[in-house]
Parts: sequence; structure tokens; C-alpha cells
Amino acid sequence: MKILLMEDERETAGYVAQGLQEEGHLLSVAEDGRDGLFRATGEDWDLLIVDRMLPVLDGVAVVRTLRAGNIMTPVLFLTTLGGVGDRVVGLNAGGDDYLVKPFAFAELVARVTALGRRRTTMAAETVLRVADLEMDLLGRTVRRGKQPVELQPREFRLLEYLMRHAGEVVTRTMLLENVWDFHFDPRTNLVESHISRLRSKIAGQDAPELINTVRGAGYCIRAPV
Amino acid sequence: MLLFRHPLGLRHRFGPRRLLDLIKTGHASLGMPRLLRTTSFRMTLLYAGLFTVSVLLLLAVILWFSTAYIAEQIDRTVFNEIVEIVTETEGRGLQGLRDAVSPLAEKAPPGVYYLLQDNAGTVLAGNMPRVKPVLGVWTWAPPGTGKRIERAGRIVRGRGVPVAEGGYLFVGLDGFELGEMQETITRSFVVILAATIMLALAGGAVMSLGLQRRVEAISRTSRDIVAGDLGRRIAIRGTDDEFDHLAASLNAMLDRIESLMQGLREVSSDIAHDLRTPLSRLRQRLELARRRALSVETLHEALDASIADVDAILDTFGALLRIAQIEAHTKAAGFAELDMSEMLQAMVEAYQTVAEERGQMLAGDIEAGLWLVGDRELLPQLFSNLIENAIRHCPSGARIELAAHLRAGGIEVDVADDGPGIPADLTEKVLQRFFRLERSRTTPGTGLGLSLAAAIAGLHRTRLDLSDKRPGLRIRLLFPR
Repeated sequence: MKILLMEDERETAGYVAQGLQEEGHLLSVAEDGRDGLFRATGEDWDLLIVDRMLPVLDGVAVVRTLRAGNIMTPVLFLTTLGGVGDRVVGLNAGGDDYLVKPFAFAELVARVTALGRRRTTMAAETVLRVADLEMDLLGRTVRRGKQPVELQPREFRLLEYLMRHAGEVVTRTMLLENVWDFHFDPRTNLVESHISRLRSKIAGQDAPELINTVRGAGYCIRAPV
Repeated sequence: MLLFRHPLGLRHRFGPRRLLDLIKTGHASLGMPRLLRTTSFRMTLLYAGLFTVSVLLLLAVILWFSTAYIAEQIDRTVFNEIVEIVTETEGRGLQGLRDAVSPLAEKAPPGVYYLLQDNAGTVLAGNMPRVKPVLGVWTWAPPGTGKRIERAGRIVRGRGVPVAEGGYLFVGLDGFELGEMQETITRSFVVILAATIMLALAGGAVMSLGLQRRVEAISRTSRDIVAGDLGRRIAIRGTDDEFDHLAASLNAMLDRIESLMQGLREVSSDIAHDLRTPLSRLRQRLELARRRALSVETLHEALDASIADVDAILDTFGALLRIAQIEAHTKAAGFAELDMSEMLQAMVEAYQTVAEERGQMLAGDIEAGLWLVGDRELLPQLFSNLIENAIRHCPSGARIELAAHLRAGGIEVDVADDGPGIPADLTEKVLQRFFRLERSRTTPGTGLGLSLAAAIAGLHRTRLDLSDKRPGLRIRLLFPR
């Protein structure tokens, strides 16, 4: 992916840029809001990573201007620790996702991947499939092979989110935000216990495990190789 | 102008200067400029000035009305006299008039003037020199000579009428009474004015000194506080006046500031203490890895553990910042109407799995249709913290219940468990930052969960009410409608 990173702090910018380049992305860095806005409008990007606090023109203003100019490139906001209400402001300005600094690198990679894919698969799907697991989004039913799987609404949402991001790493925080709408870090193993319950529900006899735990990052649903 | 014509000696004996001198010597410690600088004394001066102007205005009005009244009296008297003379001499011509006027003029008391002239302007009778015959009411200034010297400057007011054979009759009275009256009025006004100014200045001085003393007491206390004596408070007189109210408000403010300062001091030392432990652990771990890690695997392990340590420290920082931000949020910025029932139901549903894994039971007793204006992101965190608190501190087999009902005072939400509970004397303490019960020291956690919950509750105009459920702990929140 071709990514424009707007970050004024050199060290963070270097860390993010290098890491994402290692993941196979093309990175450009803009050090202030005006430069960022200029380059975001001048070229075609797959993703913009925007720090909220930028010199000259702050991140929210940059994104608001872009959206007003009908430039719909996905935007991932970066923000500093503990901002109450910052997330809402960022998303209202036209941001697509939000990440609080400091973050685990795996978290950034997972979100970048999720945002990059969002563009290509916007087509409305009615059936999601991973190996022999099938989810009918219209009928709200799930089947493993021929066996129907009974899920509670929240479990359905959890599985749906995983399946929509099949093959990608989905972090714990992404699940908390998108499935439970929790924008904080619970002190209990909330996600883990729901995942383990979901695993046991979709586990067929002798069928291979579909939901994989990616150590230090999150979960990934994929067909066994 | 009148004031200066009738000084009455007052200005010299009790003039404002003398009064100020008096105050000056009487309160040498205050010093004159100090008194003059006080707002209340300046107000007094302003009011004294205004009052003087109004007194002068009143004087002018009274003088004007009394002059008009006396002039009218004179006019009437003169008119009656003329009518009498004319009626008496009816048909007897100028000669008859002359006979009538002559004795009158001779016997006229001082200040009464008669004049009869023929059409050539020759004086036939009267006690005044010839005049240009003017008809109707007019005034004449007698020359200031002879025995009427004391009446010099007086004005004679009278009426001239045409009489038989082209004659001219004038009867006039001088304004003696008028002058007397004006003088009396003016004199009394000067006294009143002098007394007014004196009273105003004296009263103003007394009032200013009183006010200044009280204000001085407040600023002295403030200076002491600035100097570091935070425990100082402004004395309240018990008179229940506006100064007492002000003092009470200021004292309340000082109490609040002091408790905040106290809190801040505690928090900073708590932060220092609570972060030192994980930081030193982290340091040991890194040093150990540096010295002992022989393989890449062990090094990675050590690094992972270190990252986890750093994350825990960052968690603490994050929670602290969040609490600080929520507490600073006086305005309910992100508030919107939300379905509390649905939100709580979702919380129960989310945590049931977690509780069941630990062999606990989480039940919800939530009334439907509870709507509340609140923060959509913070409220879940509040309840999540309370539920997790119960889950983490209760043993296996415990029953946790989340109940929400509409009460008279608002929406009442209870998070209750039958776990070990909290000793009654510590129920307030557990809400403080970093406070952890002895038995939970060893479990992971920031010690900030309940503080954060309390901060969010505060933002929603409610508080965490902890009580002993015997056995267990009940945390109750009443969200006002």
C-alpha cells in the first residue's frame, strides 16, 4: 500500500515508517499539517496516517479539509494517551480509525491492513465463507459444514467481524471497539473468554481449528493450509 | 453664590477641610490618602456632591415659587388699593384723586409708594419721583438715597393705571417681605447644606473605615495564605451580612483548594511510589537479560516481559490522565441521550462469559426503557470497572448482580456481590487513587479502577455509594433525572 504518514515527531515517524516498510508498504512522511494536506491532495494514496497534533495545521483540520474536498482516502488517526472525547472528534472529522500512542506495532499493522482492505471490498456481501464455515448475513445463520451453529447476537457479531477480516490479524482492541463498542482496556480476559466460547461453538467433529491466536497481536480466522 | 454671601461662619468652623483634618488626626495610622482612596469614601464624596446639587436645586425652586407668591400678593394688594382710590374719587377728576392720594402718600409706611401724575408728567401727589407712565404691572428701582438707604437695591413692584383727564396713578410696594423671606430661606438652606455635607462626610468616613477594616481583614488573610499558611480562614462575625457571606464563600473555596492540594500532594507521592515498583522491576529485568540472556530466545522472552511491564506502567499513566481529564470536564461535552437498559444488558452479556469461566454467576435485573443523558463511551467503562472489580475480587462460586430500576430520584443502578466485601471503615478509601486492599496487593491492577469509576460517576452528577451487603459489597449509583 502507498501510505502517507503525517507525523512531526521524527522518532515516531521513523519507527512507524520503517516498521510499515518492512511489512511491504510504501511510506512517505509529511512533517506538518500544511505539507501533509498539500501532498494528500496532490497524489493518490491508499491510506493516510495522521497525527492529531501537527504543527501549522492540526490533524483534525487536515482531514476535515480533505473530506470537504471530497477526498475519501481512508484515514487512521494517531493520538496521545488518554484523550477523552478525542476519538469522537477525530471520527466526526472524517477519520476512519483511531489509534492511541503508544501502541503495539502489531496493532498498527492490523489496523493499516484492515483500512487498506476496506477500499477494495466495499461490495455488499451476503454470505461469508472461511473453509467450511459459512455465515449467511441475511438469514443471520451460521453453519459449520452441514452442522448449524447457534450463536448469541454478540457472538454472531464477533464471528462476523473475524470473517470479514478473514486472513488478517484482528487485535483484541479492534474486537473490543467493533464488537462491544468498548473504548477502553478491560482488566479481565473478556475477549479471550468470548473467543474460546466461540471456538467451542464452531468446532466441528475432527474439523480443524479456524480461529487462530496470533501471539502478541490478536486473532486470525483462516482456512487451514 | 448665596453661600458666600451668607457664610454664617460654618465654612470656617466645620468646613470639609476641618473634618478631614479631624479624621486624619483621629486615625493617624490610616493616613489621609488611604481613606481618600477607598471606594466607599469616594462614593461618599460623590453622594455628598450630588446631595449638595439637589439641595441647591431645591433652594432655587423654593425661591422661585416664593418670589412668585409674594409678587402675586403685592399685585393683589396694589390692585385693591388702586380700586379703592379710584372708586372713592369716582367723578371727582384729577383733583379728587390728588386729595385722596396726598394723605395716603404722606402717611405711607416705609416701602409703600404712591404717585399721581397728570398727562404732562407733573407729579400731583405721591412719595416718589416722576416716572414714565407705564401701564400694568412693572417694577421700579428707587434711588438709594436719604432715609431709605437701608432699602437700597430693593425693587418696588407696582401697577400703573390711567385715571381721569389723562392722569396716571401708580401704587407700588417694595419687596421687603420678599427679601426677608428669601434671606430666611437661603439662610436655612445654608445650614441644611452644611449639616448635610458634614454628616455625609462623617458618615462616609465612618462607613469607609468600617468597610476598610473588614476588607483589610480579608486581604490580610489572603496574604497569609499566599505566604504559605494554607490553613488560615477569614473570620466570620456572625452578623450574616454580605461580608459574612463573602467570607463564607471564600472560606469554602479555600477549603476546596486545600483539599485539592492535599489530594494532589497525595497523588504525586502515590504516583511516585506506585510507579517506582514496576519501573525498578523493569530495570532489574533488563539488567538481568543483559547479563544472563545467552540465546536469542531468552532475550526475546525478557524483552516481551519488559514490554508487558512498560504496558502496565503506561496503563497506569493512561488511567491517571483519563481520571484527570474526566475530573477537569466540568461540562458534559459528549453527552447524548442513551438507552441505559440496553447498555447495561450488553454489559451483563459481555461479562457473563468471563464470570462463568471463573465459576461465578453474573445476573442482570434490568428494567427496560431506562433512558439517560450521558457519555456513550465513559458509562460502559464505569460499569465495566464495577463489574470487573466484583469479578476479580470475588472467589469462585460468587454471585454478582447488576440491577437497574427507575426510582423517585432517578435511575438506580446496583452492582452487588456476595464476595469478601470491603471493611466499613475503608469504603471511602477504596475510591482514592492507588488505594488497594491488603489482600489484593498481589493481584494485577492499577488500583485506579474505582477512582476512574468515581470520576465518571462525578461527571454524571452521581457518586459511588459503597455499602456492606453482609456478605459482600454493594455499589449503588443514583443517576438524577
